[in-house]
Amino acid sequence: MNADPLADTGRPRGYDLEVRQLKGRAVTMGEWALDMVHEGWRAFDAGDFTAAQAVLDRGAELDRLDEDIEHAAIAFLVLRQPTAVDLRTATGLLKITTHLDRIGRLGFDMARITTASPSKGPADLRAVLERMDTAVEAMVRQCLEALGHDRADLARELFHKDDEVDQLHREANRIILRELKARTSDTPRIADSLLVARHFERIADNACKVGEKTVYALTGQRRSEYLPRHRYQPYALETPTPAPGTPDNPPHS
Amino acid sequence: MNATKVKIDHLTAYYGEKPAVIDVSLEFPERAVSAIIGPSGCGKSTLIRCMNRLHETGLRTRVEGHVFLDSEDIYQLDPVRVRRRIGMVFQKPNPFVTMSIYNNVSAALRFNGRPSREETDRQVVRSLQQAALWDEVKDRVDAPAVSLSGGQQQRLCIARALTAEPEVLLMDEPCSALDPIATAKIEDLIKKLKEDYTVIIVTHNMQQAARVADYTAFMYIGKLIEFGPTEDLFERPKESLTEAYITGRFG
Repeated sequence: MNADPLADTGRPRGYDLEVRQLKGRAVTMGEWALDMVHEGWRAFDAGDFTAAQAVLDRGAELDRLDEDIEHAAIAFLVLRQPTAVDLRTATGLLKITTHLDRIGRLGFDMARITTASPSKGPADLRAVLERMDTAVEAMVRQCLEALGHDRADLARELFHKDDEVDQLHREANRIILRELKARTSDTPRIADSLLVARHFERIADNACKVGEKTVYALTGQRRSEYLPRHRYQPYALETPTPAPGTPDNPPHS
Repeated sequence: MNATKVKIDHLTAYYGEKPAVIDVSLEFPERAVSAIIGPSGCGKSTLIRCMNRLHETGLRTRVEGHVFLDSEDIYQLDPVRVRRRIGMVFQKPNPFVTMSIYNNVSAALRFNGRPSREETDRQVVRSLQQAALWDEVKDRVDAPAVSLSGGQQQRLCIARALTAEPEVLLMDEPCSALDPIATAKIEDLIKKLKEDYTVIIVTHNMQQAARVADYTAFMYIGKLIEFGPTEDLFERPKESLTEAYITGRFG
């Protein structure tokens, strides 16, 4: 019997290769989805129909990648009957691909609302959306780096970066509200920008979920074990403040 | 976790001067299935043989420490009484080859006194039913036990063990000599038996442990490395040694 079993890499090489290939396929799918987001935003911002159609055409390949990984992960589960880190990885990948698919679909949705509007919207809104594109691209790249290179530390950091995207989302909403109240801009364009900002925010959330599943796969830690409490508790609706002058909120004497 | 049925307290078991089980402390819950896994030679079979005082029957063997059944130290009790309360099923089916199916199952009753024919019949039927064998043998209980298939013989051995109405059933690799269909029947049976008995099973087959056991212990070179709910041990093992073994990186 080996004196130091942990130093022994005695299991079949094919086994480790399959795990590595599964992760590699997911990273490829993630990069594909990220391109759809980036190109979707570019097409929307520029009002470029050709670029938008190219993004829509990418949807079928996203589906194929998703199905391929699902098939490979199920085959791995059935044939290898994995345990511990391998089990968490295989089952985690089934969920991770769902989140990567959603990321790609949100890019698809940005492309789908591309119009040849003469208006590009206010400059400050475009600047915020551009920053959101940059921020979510960095987040998706980071979650793929964490997954592909077994970096739980990178995956954990994503939750902090999500705060930055949330902040930008609020900023975009503030500008959109300002424009809608002022009625100075092209309203359909502003309404579409509201959707785009929301899509970016959802992409960041999905990148966080990929990170969460990656941490679990690599370490077995649930997010409640490494995130502050407010991060994983269910949201509670804030009690609305009654309108001034109503019986529940009488004017001060 | 259910109340503790068997408590092992700092147990060390020797073959000559060589310890095969080293300072193991462990509590097996009542009316649950607990599995013991680990590579060959890790001491898992020796450990369960200590639980019904079979280990000490070997040549130059000895045990240090305690095994409590409920609150009684079994090493302070009569070994025969211990084995009535803690039954055992072995790796290979070992029916009494010269006896019929009926006599195999009723053997324990005869050793424990001579109940009436009606009482014996009732016990034999009950044990065969509990072992999920009754429907297959009810028309031929006087046939030789060796006329049964391997899987049926193993269930017969389980029925025989149950006739003594033990509180704990130890199983040492009970399916290793069986085909997948017979294995599936024994596994179904193990899951059912936990309604009435505390079952402790030694197995090489990790998937079997995952399928049947509520709790799993991992042993390595005589030591207990980890014990906990099976789901946790196979999905989120606490010890890196457990992780390395169950993911096939050594063993």
